[in-house]
Amino acid sequence: MVDAEENGLPLDLRFCDAGTTMRSLPVADPGTPDARGPLRYLWWVARSQAAPMLIGAGLAVLWWLGQALVPAALGKAIDAMAARDAGTLLRWSAVVLGLGVVQAVAGVMRHRFAVFAWLSAAYRTVQVTVRQAARLGATLPKRLSTGEVVSVGNSDIAHIGNAMDILLRGTGAAVAIVAVTVILLATSVPLGLVVLVGVPLMAAAVGPLLKPLHRRQHEQRDLQGDLATRAADIVAGLRVLRGVGGEQVFAARYREESQRVRQAGVRVASVESLLEGAQILLPGVLIACVTWLGAHFALDGRITPGQLVAFYGYAVFLIAPLRTLTEAADKLTKGHVAARRVCRILSLEPEIAGGGGRFFTGEGTLRDGGSRAEVRPGRLTALAAAAPQDALAIADRLGRFAPGDVTVGGAPLADLPLAEARRHILVADNGARLFSGRLRDELDVRGTAGDEDVRQALYAACAEDIVAALPEGLDAYVAESGREFSGGQQQRLRLARALIADPEILILVEPTSAVDAHTEARVAERLGKARAGRATLVCTTSPLVLDRADHVLYVEGGVVRAEGTHRALLETEPAYRATVTRELTRGED
Amino acid sequence: MAREILPVADRAQVRAYARRLTLKYPRQLGLALALHALAAAAGLVAPRMLGDLVEGLAKGRTDLRVDAVALAIGAFVAAQAVLVRFAVYASSRLGEKVLAELREDFVGRVLALPLSTVERAGSGDLITRTSRDVDALSRSVRHAVPETLIAIVTGVFVVGAVILVGPVMAVPSLVAVPLLWGATRWYLNRARDGYLRENAAYADMTEGLAETVEGARTIEALGLEGRRRDRTDRDIARSFAAERYTLGLRMVWFPAVEFGYVIPVVATLLIGGLLSIEGWVTVAQVTTATLYVQQLIDPLDRLLSWVDELQVGGASMARLLGVADVPDDRVTGDTRPVGEELKVSGVRYAYREGRDVLHGIDLDVRPGERLAMVGPSGAGKSTLGRLIAGVHGPGSGSVTVGGVPLVELPLDELRGHVALVTQEHHVFRGTLRDNLLIARPDASDAEVRRALEAVDAWEWVAALGNGSGEDLDTAVGSGGTAISPAQAQQLALARLVLADPHTLVLDEATSLIDPRAARHLERSLAAVLEGRTVIAIAHRLYTAHDADRVAVVEDGRISELGSHDDLVAAGGAYAALWDSWHGTAR
Repeated sequence: MVDAEENGLPLDLRFCDAGTTMRSLPVADPGTPDARGPLRYLWWVARSQAAPMLIGAGLAVLWWLGQALVPAALGKAIDAMAARDAGTLLRWSAVVLGLGVVQAVAGVMRHRFAVFAWLSAAYRTVQVTVRQAARLGATLPKRLSTGEVVSVGNSDIAHIGNAMDILLRGTGAAVAIVAVTVILLATSVPLGLVVLVGVPLMAAAVGPLLKPLHRRQHEQRDLQGDLATRAADIVAGLRVLRGVGGEQVFAARYREESQRVRQAGVRVASVESLLEGAQILLPGVLIACVTWLGAHFALDGRITPGQLVAFYGYAVFLIAPLRTLTEAADKLTKGHVAARRVCRILSLEPEIAGGGGRFFTGEGTLRDGGSRAEVRPGRLTALAAAAPQDALAIADRLGRFAPGDVTVGGAPLADLPLAEARRHILVADNGARLFSGRLRDELDVRGTAGDEDVRQALYAACAEDIVAALPEGLDAYVAESGREFSGGQQQRLRLARALIADPEILILVEPTSAVDAHTEARVAERLGKARAGRATLVCTTSPLVLDRADHVLYVEGGVVRAEGTHRALLETEPAYRATVTRELTRGED
Repeated sequence: MAREILPVADRAQVRAYARRLTLKYPRQLGLALALHALAAAAGLVAPRMLGDLVEGLAKGRTDLRVDAVALAIGAFVAAQAVLVRFAVYASSRLGEKVLAELREDFVGRVLALPLSTVERAGSGDLITRTSRDVDALSRSVRHAVPETLIAIVTGVFVVGAVILVGPVMAVPSLVAVPLLWGATRWYLNRARDGYLRENAAYADMTEGLAETVEGARTIEALGLEGRRRDRTDRDIARSFAAERYTLGLRMVWFPAVEFGYVIPVVATLLIGGLLSIEGWVTVAQVTTATLYVQQLIDPLDRLLSWVDELQVGGASMARLLGVADVPDDRVTGDTRPVGEELKVSGVRYAYREGRDVLHGIDLDVRPGERLAMVGPSGAGKSTLGRLIAGVHGPGSGSVTVGGVPLVELPLDELRGHVALVTQEHHVFRGTLRDNLLIARPDASDAEVRRALEAVDAWEWVAALGNGSGEDLDTAVGSGGTAISPAQAQQLALARLVLADPHTLVLDEATSLIDPRAARHLERSLAAVLEGRTVIAIAHRLYTAHDADRVAVVEDGRISELGSHDDLVAAGGAYAALWDSWHGTAR
């Protein structure tokens, strides 16, 4: 494999010398996309790779012309043959060969630039989509389903790439058609006119078929999209299906939809086959007309027999560029649909915007006006809410994931730049996910922690055993969303990740809900030490964690009803006691 | 570090499968091929007539029936067009049929995948196979396969026609065969692996994209924007390297092929021309042969360019078939269980060779009892739960129900005995009812409602329909009404109630539900499941407290087993755990 790779490389370099050097992909900065509409987006993509597009189009023109001129040379050679002139025959045979060389060289170079344009467009689209997803952050899952965005990766980028490729080939095809028409006009005006009128007529004659074809293709694509979603759904829920059964039901459902796609495919084929037939019939009629006219001219002695063959050759040749133009219409349409979906994602705006103020580090108390909850520096605050959704809402407001009357150090949180707020305030909830990659890198996401920091955070989160069980330890590869870890292990790793990030203000939402009581007790004990000198808020109803907090807020009806230490609240607040000990008191009845 | 991904089928498997599929419908295939053959024959008339015309003109004849010739050319073209229409339709119908079978087979194989493998391969690999590879194969079956067949049929007819024109004229057209053959072999030998790598790199890229999208909130919270950008760019760079390699291959193959096309034309023209000057062949023969050789370029080009696509399709097919290569962890036997007693004896299990997670577990579960499994995270509780549910087979030892190993039961039968609900939750795309009927498709709405009530979910479900009574028809899953993780867990439990197996394994099945609500739920669930065996893996001690027996799992072994009171009295690890929980609250 390595050998082959090395073999491939010098070739690349050799061809680079022939034209513009092919840049390496991806580009460092994909630029700001024009997402005002699908056409504008496609135009933006084409413009940002203008040089390869233009060179590629030029090569495509050369490639097509190389083919278009073969009939002329062939005709000359046949005339030479008829005149028994071996020297001329040899010369024109050499011209045919020369045109072949032009075709071969221009063809392969054209392909090279077309592939580059394809990849460049596809990669750029992935880049801008990823950047946009990262920019939208918490807004994205609220506005679009995962499937919609993932379809960008699975098919849309390919369609956008195809649109770029066909632009190059289509340009060449159009030029070739014009060139042949000009040659024919120059030789014989009536013949030229037949082609000049015939070609657009042929294109127009196919037109009525295109509309039903596209409608049926659209229908097929929709069904196929549904089928793909169904398949992805099965894959995503495979664990569940294997746990409870239901494989048969889902297989049957998939089969049913698959058969519907099949029927749609046959409906497409019935129009497509008509189109295929028309694409033979229409140029065929043109070939017959040209042959008929040409034969009469030849009979009258106005053209040579060789020229008759050339005319026939031109008419046959025209089929290919015409097909390319039909293909272009199709691929550009698909590219347009794909670009529309991309634009939909690109035109979303984050729901929460930042301000232009500055963050005052250090002594800032974080305060939520709506609930009157306060998070003070240097203190481990716990928040126990009678209704769990109250705790989530407060955490979202404090972390600026939802709008609210929140101040930090007395200044409105909304006035701060969002990135600044995120750097100082971290909300770690159970919806957070682990990313694939080397475990050490995925834990130390800010890349600032030393080995000792990592070790201590793992200790505080009781996650050392997880790492110890991995053969490669911290160098182990974390599979997609940490699937290989159990729910409890994932939760502890997420906690370690939040601790390693070491933000000034850390808001943990039910950080121990999935771990056993034994571990929970240890985490509660170690958390305070790990966060010494920092501001921490833990939303929980676990008595183990609440007991270890410096200060406890009891929230009911969305506002803080009481505060103090866990033990004091247990004694003085019956409602609090009911909330945190309900499970125990019931257990004892 | 290389990640373990699902296996890929080898060449022989792909070929055997393709052959079987091709020959499965001989009549339809025969019809399609015959139509294509007739169409190809109709396309051979024009050059022959033109050749004769040129010959006559060159000889200066004036009695040529030009109008008749032109009319005949037109008529044959029309015939060809009609034949092509029916030929394409016939082959498309066949293609769609085969394609549907292919993807249904694949999904069937996915649904039969051993779970342990799915978890290790990550869903990205499987998702790419279900989307991109199924797409690529569709393209192959819809276009590449028929185009290749048409090209072969047409090519054979054209060559036959050249031989008919004059056997001697066929010789120059063969000069390029060694070049085409050699270059194509060189290319194909390298292309398969190149395209496989290209697909794999592409899969990584889309997996990365999916991760970014799904984890968008996490990315924002942790400020991972830059890292995700870098990861994408790295994935793209790898994909580009793989694409560049295959491009390099084509940079050699394409020019060789293009020369291969033009050489026969030139050779026929030049050699034929010289022969005709010598008077050995006629101008008509040379003209017709040259036009034929030119006409041969199209099928040849189609053939070669689709061979490329066939390779892509073949690579995709290898990945689709590879899913079936995952060794089954279940060998169905003939014995049927007698009774419902679950017995675990001497069970060991390792995810990675040499690293046992369970070190010899013995456990008899009494029918109808509620057994709670507790113990520190990572002790092997979930693994044991999966073994008891028959999801994994044990490495050594046995897990039996009524005397028969669970892994020897057919899946359908297994589900009647044991079902597993984990904290993993997935809401399927479809209606709420669809989501609940998975385990028992014939359940009535009243039964569904009772199941929902048993898991405290009826209240919010009823609210979905706004009292219209169509609450069960609410569309959920991707693109539908949002269902919270806690609600998804309730649905999973309701599913289990409907499935009604005699043994239920609940692996932290209520962990995402608010602790207070969870306790209530567990109690109402217990009432419905009266008489069923329930094995609950729990991290909350009240679950253990409420159970008939408690098994403490530590470090892959059962260290304590008995009733709550017995264990507390025994003063072991469980007692310490209970105190740490209970004591602090007091």
